[in-house]
Amino acid sequence: MNYLPLFTALPLLGAFLIPLLSKIWERLSDIISNVITTLLLILSVYSLFLLPIFGKVYVYEIGKWAIKPIPLGIVFTFDNLSLLMVLVINLLSFACSLYSITYLDNYTARWKFWTLFLLMVAGLNGVAITGDLFNLFVFIEISAISSYALVAFGVEKEDLEASFKYQIIGEIAGLTILLAIALIYAKTSTLNMADIANTFAKESKGPLFWFIISLLTFGFLIKSALFPFHFWLPDAHSQAPAPISAMLSGIFIKVVGVYALSRLIFNIFGLNRLNASHYFNLLLILGIFSIVIAGFIALKQENYKRLLAYSTISQVGYIFVGLGLANFWSITGALSLIFAHALGKGLLFLTAGPVEKEAGSLDIHLLSNFKKRMSFYGIVYTLGALSLAGIPPFLGFFPKIFLILGAIKGKRFEVAIILGIFSLLTLAYLLKITNKVFTKKEGEEVKGVSSIVISFLFLVFLIFILGLFYLNYLEPNLISKATEAVISGVEYARLVLIK
Amino acid sequence: MIELYILLIISIGAGIVAVEIKDLLASAISLGIVGFSVAIMFILTQAPDLAIVQIVVEVLTVVIFVGVILKTTHIDTTLEDKLNVRDYLTKGIFALFGIFFLLFSILALKELPQFGMPIMKIASHYLVKGFEEIRAANQVAAVILDFRGYDTLGEATVLFTSVIGVLTILRKIGKIK
Amino acid sequence: MLPYLGCIILFLIGIYAILTKRNLIKIAIGFCLLEYSVNLFFAFIGYKKDALAPIYANLSQARNFVDPIPQALVLTAIVIGLGTTALLLSVALRIYEKYKTFDIKEIKRLKE
Repeated sequence: MNYLPLFTALPLLGAFLIPLLSKIWERLSDIISNVITTLLLILSVYSLFLLPIFGKVYVYEIGKWAIKPIPLGIVFTFDNLSLLMVLVINLLSFACSLYSITYLDNYTARWKFWTLFLLMVAGLNGVAITGDLFNLFVFIEISAISSYALVAFGVEKEDLEASFKYQIIGEIAGLTILLAIALIYAKTSTLNMADIANTFAKESKGPLFWFIISLLTFGFLIKSALFPFHFWLPDAHSQAPAPISAMLSGIFIKVVGVYALSRLIFNIFGLNRLNASHYFNLLLILGIFSIVIAGFIALKQENYKRLLAYSTISQVGYIFVGLGLANFWSITGALSLIFAHALGKGLLFLTAGPVEKEAGSLDIHLLSNFKKRMSFYGIVYTLGALSLAGIPPFLGFFPKIFLILGAIKGKRFEVAIILGIFSLLTLAYLLKITNKVFTKKEGEEVKGVSSIVISFLFLVFLIFILGLFYLNYLEPNLISKATEAVISGVEYARLVLIK
Repeated sequence: MIELYILLIISIGAGIVAVEIKDLLASAISLGIVGFSVAIMFILTQAPDLAIVQIVVEVLTVVIFVGVILKTTHIDTTLEDKLNVRDYLTKGIFALFGIFFLLFSILALKELPQFGMPIMKIASHYLVKGFEEIRAANQVAAVILDFRGYDTLGEATVLFTSVIGVLTILRKIGKIK
Repeated sequence: MLPYLGCIILFLIGIYAILTKRNLIKIAIGFCLLEYSVNLFFAFIGYKKDALAPIYANLSQARNFVDPIPQALVLTAIVIGLGTTALLLSVALRIYEKYKTFDIKEIKRLKE
């Protein structure tokens, strides 16, 4: 698996080539970026089959600075959790870049979009595979900075305002994380994650330990937009261009927020329900607040994308409930929800693009008076919504079941009941759009546009087929292995350093 | 190290001035004072490379700030309004948060190695290998260009990203209607 | 410990500016203060008493150097900070062009 650096090198190559080559023919940028996202998708699916041969973790030493006996250089550590994230990132970025070929006709300067898009993909892939703490920060910043610019890609009044707000909040989070990294370095004098885990395992958990944990938690909860740090998300995710909303809601907050946090607290600091039950209870309570509050706000929204954005906050709440319960079933639920939500919410945000282009607005009230029929988009939207709300046989059904099982297993019956009831609320607010925008229409049918339709079919196919093969294939081969990587805690450090 | 403490006090003072003063140009200049005191503190803590970069970056930052302020306005009109209940409330909440944060950090910082005595677990290996294997005179250069060269690639990428980002945002027309 | 505490105070001033100020430029200045404080903190961590800058002046020199790693990290962090500041200010500039004000109270277009 020594092709691991390609996950960041390929999109970086594309990002550096596009400004040079697009001067010749602007459409060349479409081809370059789609070729690169396709290659990335092939690589990540290939890794799915290759990783079991190499055992639980594959370690790549950059610049051949050996990790033994002293981790001098930067390493990539590719375990099953990274594999899951890389797969999700590249599946959705493949669909979004395919979608953008047609979608970008609405915007000027398409090469700038592609450059920033590939930089964001490079940053996200880097976050998922790096095994070095400072390198993690650098990749978070690459993906964050490109996303700030992409949110304001339309340079309308509201876009700029949303981007400014997003930047300020995002940078507070980034610098808090950097401060925590500084403290960690001062205490351990190393930056390799596995080495840090070993050093902290020998220390007692004093105020410094909890100060670091609180700084990291604060930073990453802002990045993952959990209540009460959610206020920036509805603006940023609803003002961005549709494929960027899909990327941000679908994977950005999960890779930079949820994945990075769970890697650090479970694998590096070795927290679990036995030694830090208050910490996990806090995550659990914040998760439930997110589900409830954002769910009710979503129900009242009158804007297509804002409704979906609030729904994202609510679904992130589900993920954190899973992490907060911290048993095998609940974490399986949380990780498969990351997968299902990325595909489902990505699909829903993508449908906003052609609807806005046809009707000229995303206001649900105005859309309900729009006369043309959009049955294809309506069907695609409804399938995605059903999956997100957890209706069998779609992919989104299994995460909810695993979460509820996890809550029962953890003897938290009240949590199980809340999860069950609020799944119905999810269905209610998502189908509000189906009901108002897509049904009871007369008049002519809107024609679909080529690359957008292909990306929709791709995502619908995935939601359906992965739902069918979830228990037979996806769960045993990917999700439960990733759960094991989370649950086994500081075992990660031993596996990395044993090499 | 009395100079270090004086500079810290100066930079905290200049920071407060930069935040509170009404004239935005003066505010940018005060930010420059903070930045240059930081540069001198880098020299005092034996980091000449950082001091050089900090001076260059600080000049650029102040120039960008002044450029933006000259193109727009240099009066902070928000300070003219009377404070209402909500402003006092935010300030109060911030004061509580600040005190809590400070106390927590005092407790936490006590556990760090004392100022001036770093552990240097990895760094001691760097100092040997950087000289014997990489043959670099400047060990910071050895770290950024060899041991941790991948971070430097990331750094260059960030710079590239922000250049493309600024170009994107300064476009006059974004959406084709 | 006092120098560390100085950095924390500078950090808090930055957070204060971002949370309570309504002028976009002041918010950007607060962000710069945050960034300087973290950079300074890193430099303080690497400082070693009575040691020299990590540069070999001659071959037989004793290895009494300060920690080079935090310096390398700050070098990266300073450049990242410059990039974000430039992006932030360009957005602020465009907002001023559209709204003719830096006051966030008058800019709030997006609904709750």
